[in-house]
Amino acid sequence: MSEPIIIENLTKYYNKFLALDKLNLRVPEKEAIGLLGPNGAGKSTTLKILCGLIRPSSGVAYIDGINVVEKPEQALSRIGAIIETPEFYTYLTPVETLNYLGRLRGMSVVDLKKRIGEVINLVKLERWANVKIEKFSRGMKQRLGLAQAMLHDPPILILDEPALGLDPRGVVEFREIIAHVGQKKTVFFASHQLVEVAQICSKVAVINNGKLLAFESIVEMEKKYQTLEQAYLQLTGGTGE
Amino acid sequence: MSELEKLRVVIGYEFLKHIRRRRLYVIMGIALVAEALVLILIPALQDGYPSSVMVMAAILTVGPSLAALGAVFFAGDAIAGEFEGRTGFILFTNPIKKITLWTGKYLASFLAVTLLIIFSYIIIAVSLGVIYGEVPVEIVESFGLCVLYAAAVLSVTFLFSAVSKGAMGATVMTLVFIWVISGILESVLAFTGNPYWFVISAGGDSIALVYGNMQTFMAGLGLGDGRFEDVFSGYEPLTVGMAAWGMIIYLVVGFAVSLWISRRRQLA
Repeated sequence: MSEPIIIENLTKYYNKFLALDKLNLRVPEKEAIGLLGPNGAGKSTTLKILCGLIRPSSGVAYIDGINVVEKPEQALSRIGAIIETPEFYTYLTPVETLNYLGRLRGMSVVDLKKRIGEVINLVKLERWANVKIEKFSRGMKQRLGLAQAMLHDPPILILDEPALGLDPRGVVEFREIIAHVGQKKTVFFASHQLVEVAQICSKVAVINNGKLLAFESIVEMEKKYQTLEQAYLQLTGGTGE
Repeated sequence: MSELEKLRVVIGYEFLKHIRRRRLYVIMGIALVAEALVLILIPALQDGYPSSVMVMAAILTVGPSLAALGAVFFAGDAIAGEFEGRTGFILFTNPIKKITLWTGKYLASFLAVTLLIIFSYIIIAVSLGVIYGEVPVEIVESFGLCVLYAAAVLSVTFLFSAVSKGAMGATVMTLVFIWVISGILESVLAFTGNPYWFVISAGGDSIALVYGNMQTFMAGLGLGDGRFEDVFSGYEPLTVGMAAWGMIIYLVVGFAVSLWISRRRQLA
């Protein structure tokens, strides 16, 4: 089985603060992998490096075998991403935004029109498709964020707290979408929601202080620690028994 | 898809932004009001319009000069806004080179400001035609210099946008640099007999300079009776060619440095 995301000795300093400490991780193909850890553990930093938003201090990250730092455009062409709460140009509508991003990804006008309709339906933004984003709530922007991440049907999805800001119905719908696409795509996503991770992912990577503490299937973790919550608490130095 | 095609896409959507934002129309209105004030106040405060069409054409350049400064408001948020507004988290995860993205933004802003400049020159041409029955051919040169000045102002704004945390900071810093710092420096250098072509505000002055020098304008406004002789005694006249070189330097260096800085900038 190939590994579309490979992280080797990834280290990141923000001035003197060590955010990632020689992190190593290999994400297998067509699996949904959760990245768990407390605030400041290094989850967002890891995902931002994979998306070419920040550069590592040392170490390498590969997307489908392409070095993210050396060839960011090639690497980015294989992923769809939501990093933090997505913000969009408020003067555009969802359809215009998706058109813009799709064109930047080289999608043809005909394919784009069809695909925009599909992803807008998928995230249930049909009624708002031609309304300027300046009127959108956080949850609606999150839905649009998911639509743009899946627009070009990428083989890899990188998602950072993707359900943040969604209402309860939105969270359930989001889980269903990710669980469905996760059967055909590699999904690497950071979350604080253990329930969400347990429902979507087959394996989890737990990190803290920039270091990998565990990378196992949820079934294995539950065998060792009884529940995923206990595993998380014990591994991250919480109050687990 | 080639970077050139991506550039075209960026220009298209960035230009759409300028068309949809209120600031384009506000600046257009300000330029219009400036021209209207000149056309109303001059005959009201003295006995009719100046006898020379060249003097009136020079005075009316206040409109396009303001339009060119509108570049600051188009480009202030071009780079800083992506970081401040966090729209970069969506845009930068797309497979496009940063140089393509920033160049597209620059060219879209340039197109928008050029539209404003064309608008204000149409007003000048119509006004001169109606009042004097002629439009001096120098208006074409003035237009060219105004567009060059706008391009230089855009580059300087991009530079401030690349180093600023916020769009407002970039806009204010650019305005202070061009209007206050450069203006003071230019005045001090000019009236102490030193060359000042390399100061960006001198580029703005060159837009009117094609119609004649400062002394000609003073005389045309009835102020040529020697009252300002002391001021002009050591004054080093600005040539259009040198001012143009100054603006080209700002255009190229400002844009190149802003690209270099913004490519290194990270969205943490």
